[in-house]
Amino acid sequence: MDYHRTSIHEVLPEDHAFQDGSAVEGNGVARRPARLPAAMDAEQFHAASERILKAINTVIDGKAEAAKLALTVLLAQGHLLLEDVPGVGKTLLAKTLARSIDCSVSRIQFTPDLLPSDVTGVSIYNQASRSFEFRPGAVFANIVIGDEINRASAKTQSALLECMEEHQVTVDGKSYTLDEPFMVVATQNPIEMEGTYPLPEAQRDRFMARISMGYPDKDAEMEMLETHQATSPLTRVTAVVSAGGVAAMIATVQQVYVSQSIKEYTVSLGRATRESSMLRLGASPRSMLQLLRAAKATAALAGRDFVLPDDVVSVAEAVLAHRIILDRKAASTGETPQSVIRAVLARIPVTPDVGGAPVSGNGRSPLPARAAPSPVPPHRS
Amino acid sequence: MTLAPQRHPGADADTARAEDAATVLAPADATRRQRVGAHPWVMALAIATAVAGAALGLNGVLRGWVWYAPVVTTVFTVSLTMAGLRALRWRTVFVGLGGLASLVLILTFTFFRPHSIIGFIPSGATMTQLGRYLRRASETVLAESAPVAPNAGIVLLVCAALGLLVMLIDALAFPLALPATSGLGILAILVVPAMVKPQSVGVLGFAGAAIGYLLILASSQWFAPDPRTRADTARNPGQLRRASLTGALALTVTLLLQLVIPGFDQGTFPQGSRLNPFGAATGLNPMISLGNSLRSPTGDGRITYATNSPSAPYLRSVTVDSFNGDSWSPDDREDTRRMGTGRMESGLESVATEIRVVTAVNTGQFTSPYLPVPYAPEAVNGLTGRWSWDPATLSIKGLDTNSRDQQYVVLSAAPQLTRDLLEQAPTPAQGVPELFLRPPANVPEIVLTTAESVTAGSETSYARAVAIQKYLRSPEFTYSLQSPVQGGYDGNGLSVLADFLTQKSGYCIHFASAMAVMARLEGIPSRIAVGYAPGRPTGGTVSIAGQGALPEFEVDARDAHAWPELYFQGVGWVAFEPTPSRGVVPSYSTENAPPSGASTNENNEGLLPPDDENPTPLPQGAPVPLPGGQAPADAGSQWLPLLYSAGALLLLGVLMASPQLARRSVRRRRLKAGGEGNGGSALPAFAELRDLATDYGVAPRSSETPRHFSKRLRASGAVGTADGSGAAAHAAVASLTDDFERHQYGRPGGGADNGAENAAAARIAAIRATLRAHARPLARVRAACLPPSVMGTWRRSMSAPVRALSQPANRTRRSVAGSWLRTRDLFRRARRS
Repeated sequence: MDYHRTSIHEVLPEDHAFQDGSAVEGNGVARRPARLPAAMDAEQFHAASERILKAINTVIDGKAEAAKLALTVLLAQGHLLLEDVPGVGKTLLAKTLARSIDCSVSRIQFTPDLLPSDVTGVSIYNQASRSFEFRPGAVFANIVIGDEINRASAKTQSALLECMEEHQVTVDGKSYTLDEPFMVVATQNPIEMEGTYPLPEAQRDRFMARISMGYPDKDAEMEMLETHQATSPLTRVTAVVSAGGVAAMIATVQQVYVSQSIKEYTVSLGRATRESSMLRLGASPRSMLQLLRAAKATAALAGRDFVLPDDVVSVAEAVLAHRIILDRKAASTGETPQSVIRAVLARIPVTPDVGGAPVSGNGRSPLPARAAPSPVPPHRS
Repeated sequence: MTLAPQRHPGADADTARAEDAATVLAPADATRRQRVGAHPWVMALAIATAVAGAALGLNGVLRGWVWYAPVVTTVFTVSLTMAGLRALRWRTVFVGLGGLASLVLILTFTFFRPHSIIGFIPSGATMTQLGRYLRRASETVLAESAPVAPNAGIVLLVCAALGLLVMLIDALAFPLALPATSGLGILAILVVPAMVKPQSVGVLGFAGAAIGYLLILASSQWFAPDPRTRADTARNPGQLRRASLTGALALTVTLLLQLVIPGFDQGTFPQGSRLNPFGAATGLNPMISLGNSLRSPTGDGRITYATNSPSAPYLRSVTVDSFNGDSWSPDDREDTRRMGTGRMESGLESVATEIRVVTAVNTGQFTSPYLPVPYAPEAVNGLTGRWSWDPATLSIKGLDTNSRDQQYVVLSAAPQLTRDLLEQAPTPAQGVPELFLRPPANVPEIVLTTAESVTAGSETSYARAVAIQKYLRSPEFTYSLQSPVQGGYDGNGLSVLADFLTQKSGYCIHFASAMAVMARLEGIPSRIAVGYAPGRPTGGTVSIAGQGALPEFEVDARDAHAWPELYFQGVGWVAFEPTPSRGVVPSYSTENAPPSGASTNENNEGLLPPDDENPTPLPQGAPVPLPGGQAPADAGSQWLPLLYSAGALLLLGVLMASPQLARRSVRRRRLKAGGEGNGGSALPAFAELRDLATDYGVAPRSSETPRHFSKRLRASGAVGTADGSGAAAHAAVASLTDDFERHQYGRPGGGADNGAENAAAARIAAIRATLRAHARPLARVRAACLPPSVMGTWRRSMSAPVRALSQPANRTRRSVAGSWLRTRDLFRRARRS
């Protein structure tokens, strides 16, 4: 049982020059943008997002949806969980996203003997200055790639998850704020469960979205064989947007307008998952917030300054499916979290009333509603 | 370092709990699969309840309630036996055979106990007795009219039929799994009272049958739910709502139809009319069929007769002279009847001068065992078949024949009566058979008091008779064919009489029996004559040998009549006419009025036009108590059907046009709102777009985003192709969606609409034209006449109360189910430990 410990830092070359002329700075403890920069206008935003997506798509063939969702999560200030079988490009996607943006990137290869201090950093006694000096851990980067996060012990996992939630690290009673943008892209392998510590349900809630990459289609696979034989495609990726640019994009996303009816729709989606008898655990209020943020990012990427129900619908599965827990009975009948979310989406009216138009189709829930929603899983004695 | 997956305690607890729940559930499911459970028992009880409940309606067909106990025993025995066999998992065929065997055994036990082996096994003696019973039952069915006395024969028949019906319903509900169809069996029971009883099934029978039927449906739903009819499945939502909606619609249509169709007191099936499968007026009991004949809309059984009498005479068929029992009927007195009609006499002395009247009668289709003849017949010639006559009443009855297609000449003696003659008659009449004097037992209080108060102060029999007639003809009483039916006293008997004197509304049978009974109470011999009131002249003449051409009259079922005959010593039987608006008031029966000669049915009290002016009579069922309304009533009755039809047509037209009108007004309102300004135009325009799409078959789904709907509409082909004929419509749909999104979801006050002001109307018009052009003809008609958008809204608003009710109902159901599960688990655990 000899787990190989890889280098935990994999930082971009220092001398890399960026398109917008800024230079890479060191690991970001010193760099602290006081507040988010001014928002971009729509055209700039569109151009920037197009550049990022194009960069990703040159590396990963035929996964435009996954790429877009990854960017969406970045712009919505969330964290991304990539869950799929080995070899479909999870890590590649994470790396490409990181590289296409001019910002600091660190990669942590999780192993069972990885310690929390490896993630967060550690205070070391400096003989010269005769004082304790903080050595930042791998989490001090704009984009942190956590490879095979389920291989680490629960202790280490929770160290990372705390950083994800609070955007800060506390070591020896001293707090260190993390740089913005800050995004953790964790990958997880669902089939090799031996010797792993799967993320508990509560921890999964910290991730804004979970993406399954899926296998590429035939053409994309053929092209990949063609182009990726000799060189790693990653080397061709250059950063197309600076960290400041991303921060501006995030600011733009934050200014996207959310109307009252969208909020109502989102809330009714969440309530429906909590009341569904197929679920033991419905979507949390935090997930509602993240759903709305993801929808805002989607709207911005679509060039709109307001959210449509379509935006909510398009991200709902990715945002909600990994947080809910199926009832035993539902699981035995072949339901999946995804299918339950789809059923809820197919049932909740989008707009309460637009003026007397008939409501056709399935007015009733395929899932018999429970008498009262309960935050705790129902207990049957 | 341990590699065992470490999970947080919450998850473990959840899993453990879920497993716990699963282990609790698993044995329950298993036992349900293995055992039959309570289903057969509950279903059997439901079926038995339904049949026994429906049998409640037979009260009135059978007299009293004595018959009900054997019925209940039989029904429950058969159904529970079958349930038991089913619980033992017998095969279907054997369950049926077992049910049949149990039916035979219980019937033997109930009816043939002395004639069977050890009380319930049928033997040869049982068969002999069965034959006897069946004969008696058939006699009852043929000879008696409802309500019949519950003799063993008829009760046996009823029990056997109900037992077989239980088996039929059971077969429908169980092996054939058609619980809803089992209602046919229950209906078969209800048909009997509906046909026989004047009050139809009655509330009791209907309620019993309905409750039982609902129980059958419910138990089939609880225990063997058909996945197609499950309320909670995604495939079949809103079961309750749809069922209630259907019921509500049916109810509404029933209520509306009643308004539209002119009345149920006329027409083909007037209220209270009964289906008579054996032909009209078989005359077994004229007392029963009389009301029916009067209500007959067509006037069957036309009889024509020619007479040399100065006025048209009453035609008398039969008399009723025993006023005892629940139902009065003619007493045939078979042993005292005499054969041959050549010479008849009552043997009563009369001092009055008599006029010989010759009457030639043609009975046509009129079918009755009794012969209609003028009183008092002395000889009837020209009859075919064997006829007998009763010396006591002079009623003529066929022995092996009936009155159908008879042509005969009656020679009768009509006594010329005067008031003086009657006044001189001795007051306690002598010389008449005692049976005409016997007062009925258990006379209701109201009859006694009425008789007393009416005749107070009258000394002679004649004065009393006149007083009673005067009282009954007073304006207090109204003539109505419908009130007795509605009041539930359509029939005869003392209880009916009491009801009649309370309600003071009825027809001839009530007036006649009231007078006859009151006369007997006052010591005057009386009987009720049943026959026909004086007819109308047809205008033709009939030549009779020795008499020349005599004027011809006609009567039909609507002239059926009953009147009292009172006996005065030395004068004989004297007819009175207590029924207002019918018949002729004899001159001798009025106190001081001058004798009115040719008074007939029609012109009496000025109700109806004189014979020569209008030979076709109006339906006489309409009670018009006030005189003088002759012409207006006539005109009104002519215009009324037209008015009704016009109203109905108008209503129909409005009903048919209303969806279209509603749709149009909604559209106008929306487009007008669109014209009012920038802010409000997009939302109503998009609503209109949704409704338009609904009308043409591309209905938006509630969970569909506007953008998705818009895309689907454009892709569906309903608005043509984007590059072809539907380019404008496509652009319009897209821009309307865009506007709507911006207004509904966008920043308030941000962005201007596509197109100019009020362009919404133009865009909607373009879309509508394109939709029309691309729709199939049928869809086009539907969108125009029955727009689904409007119909859907109406449907929803109509079912709103049902939905409001169904929520608490569902909650109750869930809580009941929950407590049942908890109780069951408790028992299980207690048993296990």
